[in-house]
Amino acid sequence: MELSEEIKATKDIIQAFLKSKKMIRMYPPNNPIYVKTLEDCYSKFKNFNYYKDMLVLKIKQNEILYDSEQVYSSVEKEDNLALFFFKDGLREITFRQGLTSEELEEFLKIISLDYDREVVDDDLVTMLWEKDFQNIQYIVDDAVLADEEDYEAKAVAELEEKATEEDDLHKAYEDAFKKEEEIKEVSIVPLTDNDLQLLSGELTKDSQDKIGKLNNMLFELLYIAETLPDYSEVIGFFMNSIDYSIRHGDIQMVTNVMAKMKQITDDKSASEDMKKHAKRVILFAGSDQIVSLIGEILDSGHEIEEKIFEDFIKFLDKSSIMPFMKILGELNTIHSRKIVIDALIFLGPKDIMTLATGLNDSRWYVVRNIIYILRKIGDKRAVDYLLRTVKHGDIRVKKEVIRTLGELGGAGVIKALKDCLEDPELQVRSAALRAFGNIASEAAKRIIMDRISDKYFKDKDFEEKKEYFEVLTRWKDNEVYNLLMEIMKKSTFWGRSKSYEDKACAAYCLGLIGNKEALSILNKFKNSSNNLLREYTYSAIHRLEHGR
Amino acid sequence: MAGREDKDILRSSKDLINQLSVVLRTAQIHDPNNVAVVSAVDRLVSIINTLLSQENIITLELRGEFFYLNDYRIRYSLEYLLNFDFLVREFKKRELGSVIFKLRIVPEDIKIFVKVFTESPYSESPFNTFEEKMTGVKSIEIGRLKKVVEEESFDVRKMVKKTYFNAVSYTKGVINKIKAGEKVHLKKAKRVVETMVDQILEEEQLLLGMTAIKDYDEYTYHHSVNVSILSIALGQRLGLSRKMLTDLGMAALFHDIGKMEIPPEVLNKPTNFTDDEWKIIRMHPVWGIKALLKLKKLDDLTVRSAIVSFEHHMNFDLTGYPKLRNPLELDFFSKIVSFADQYDAMTSARVYSRIPMGPDKALSIIMERAGTQLDPLLFKFFINMVGVFPIGTLVMLSTNDLGIVYESNQLFASRPRVMIIVDNKGNKVKGSVVDLTEKNVKGEYIRSITKTLDPNKYKINLAEYLL
Repeated sequence: MELSEEIKATKDIIQAFLKSKKMIRMYPPNNPIYVKTLEDCYSKFKNFNYYKDMLVLKIKQNEILYDSEQVYSSVEKEDNLALFFFKDGLREITFRQGLTSEELEEFLKIISLDYDREVVDDDLVTMLWEKDFQNIQYIVDDAVLADEEDYEAKAVAELEEKATEEDDLHKAYEDAFKKEEEIKEVSIVPLTDNDLQLLSGELTKDSQDKIGKLNNMLFELLYIAETLPDYSEVIGFFMNSIDYSIRHGDIQMVTNVMAKMKQITDDKSASEDMKKHAKRVILFAGSDQIVSLIGEILDSGHEIEEKIFEDFIKFLDKSSIMPFMKILGELNTIHSRKIVIDALIFLGPKDIMTLATGLNDSRWYVVRNIIYILRKIGDKRAVDYLLRTVKHGDIRVKKEVIRTLGELGGAGVIKALKDCLEDPELQVRSAALRAFGNIASEAAKRIIMDRISDKYFKDKDFEEKKEYFEVLTRWKDNEVYNLLMEIMKKSTFWGRSKSYEDKACAAYCLGLIGNKEALSILNKFKNSSNNLLREYTYSAIHRLEHGR
Repeated sequence: MAGREDKDILRSSKDLINQLSVVLRTAQIHDPNNVAVVSAVDRLVSIINTLLSQENIITLELRGEFFYLNDYRIRYSLEYLLNFDFLVREFKKRELGSVIFKLRIVPEDIKIFVKVFTESPYSESPFNTFEEKMTGVKSIEIGRLKKVVEEESFDVRKMVKKTYFNAVSYTKGVINKIKAGEKVHLKKAKRVVETMVDQILEEEQLLLGMTAIKDYDEYTYHHSVNVSILSIALGQRLGLSRKMLTDLGMAALFHDIGKMEIPPEVLNKPTNFTDDEWKIIRMHPVWGIKALLKLKKLDDLTVRSAIVSFEHHMNFDLTGYPKLRNPLELDFFSKIVSFADQYDAMTSARVYSRIPMGPDKALSIIMERAGTQLDPLLFKFFINMVGVFPIGTLVMLSTNDLGIVYESNQLFASRPRVMIIVDNKGNKVKGSVVDLTEKNVKGEYIRSITKTLDPNKYKINLAEYLL
């Protein structure tokens, strides 16, 4: 290969670096553009290596040289590849023939990082060092590391200045012939297999997480704290430790800290200041900052054992309700939402009012989740808040709230549910009916019976009517029985088909109630010319006679 | 070597070292036709031929204290530490520098190699005998152990010196910045430590030698760097990975950061401390953990460094300070740093201990503390690292020359390289370094250590000789 060709090939590689830097930042590794960029860059190396074993790039502040020829130059402060390498002390990079595409990808990833951001803890050279590439070598100028210019020269000169006095040397020499100074008896101890086993055990132990140990030390610091600034300082460390543990998905570690903090708050011998600060740590574990992190961890698919999460939640204060409600609407997976809902079911009773503020959320699914949580909590204090949601614009929310009101019951509930029976949406009316069934009070019964007795009832669809009668079976008393019997006996001339529907529903209901006295009237209709009535009557008789 | 295969070969290097060692050890005990020897040889043949199927030539070379397989340094790791040491020792005995497998080998080739290997150390010039007897084996070539070229060594020394003073300068800068309440970035600290890790892996003795030079005026900074170097070197002996060595070096570099809080009039007090002053001194691990936890956002390295800073004065038997309500077993890194810290402190002239000990005296005290204050297991590795006569020890030789230990010898602990500073006529001289393993024509050692003296007692400036 002619030198000019080598230079051209090198320039191609540099251009491929520049392109890769952009593409790697923009696209994920599985994106075809990312893959293509990497392949192109690698093929340029293969092309170069066909003729040459090694590509050695010399780095100057604003230029890159290959075999003393400039292959890149820029005077820009930003996006200057030479300066990017140069400023961290990199002075030469060598790519050997054996360079693999994996190594090249790692290299490109490293040069694509934005080192000016705080989150990148290491510089370019450290990143390269940590990868320990087999086929990428580099030379760095470590002078950038010294804090003081010419420190070495000055320090060495100063050290050497204190020259050993000749008299002292002679004294040492003379003393060396005296007998009292003997060689110290220290000997090399051979290593045994047992030593290696012990060492192996130490290394295994060492690989365990260190944050627990740090927490123990922080507790020691807490115990020796004397002043308020001392306490605040240590509490700040605990907060960082909790943040760190959560980021690592280690909820158990946080629970351990909280359990110990709880012991302190319950300890009569602990000072008030210490208790106050211990409480701050517990509150922090349920803060916005930590709960948001928990959300991220949950959504990342990190497995959290149910029991561990439950134990964690037990230590949280009511102040964590709001942060959990906040992430409820942001979580991406059903699994994570389920975990947070369970957490709120546990925490909610500590502050129903705060929990109920979630009913004002603009997202229908959050509102529905909160209603579900309130239902699971089963606290009647929630009813007032729920009643305000009955007129929610989303039918899914309406259904949820009606069901919840039905389970919770209470003064205003009957009225609200009664209004729901007039709702234009069948699903809402059905939900309200079932809610009445759940309430199962006399007032509820009265409303259902009145509705059935209403002259317009017959105009409803058969399925809706049937639901009314189904709900009525919750009350198996005489009043209901008599109403059903009345319907069965009622004869009409006009609108006979609608009357048959009512009778069919009443027959169905009599079957469900289980009063065998109804058999005589049912038998009268078992051969009815109306199919619907005949079918339902037959089914009711069968249920009464055979108990199913 | 090519890419991915590199890794496979590096993995195979472990097998090669282990199996070669097994073959040679077994052959020292049993007859060549013994089943144990035969099966060990077969296994070795299989490993070598597998490697040869990937590479045309396999070269196992001893350079300094390390083996290289086709120019790649084989890492010193716990799994094959004993076999590694055994082979280094046995190669050196025979002046054997390399074994090159060129062609597919058969068990017979290895059997001849083993036979010659077993017999050769007893001859006058082991390598020549070895080479002569191996001439018939075409598939295996051997090479003589190369001596370190003095000129190269000089360049390396310059590099090591630069690394050391860069580290001291950086440490001084960072401590002053923290004291002044300025924001510090630890990116540079990592770079400093990584360079030290590389040099410990390549030139352990040279960098260790730098720790023998004590600077009273800049004690704090030199001490931090020395403890970092000694810890990395001990960690390397313990088979820690490069990443772990960096973490260890970082933790060691900042282990005494809490001393910043000690008022200068206490820290620099030339006389003994009062009880109250001791109370202040004993607070520095507590101040240390706090300083580190405030330095940056909590991450794995900060956690480790904070633990070490808090524990470095707590002893193996859980005595020491700070006293804890609930004592815990010491962290592995803390135990390592504690060793390095004690050794460097003992051999340094500090303000509150104006007369330092000679390195050998410090070592004997450390030996006494092993099992109580210090971990006895780590002691074994530590003594193997610094040698019986650590660098900087003032020694009288059997030739009546007075010298300073210049470089330890890993295989012959009592036979380091010594720089002569007073000749056998009592004249001050400078420069010539002698190797105590050198023998005369009769096969007797030319020089041996007869006595050690405390260089501090005679105000000998080690920097004058070791820099």
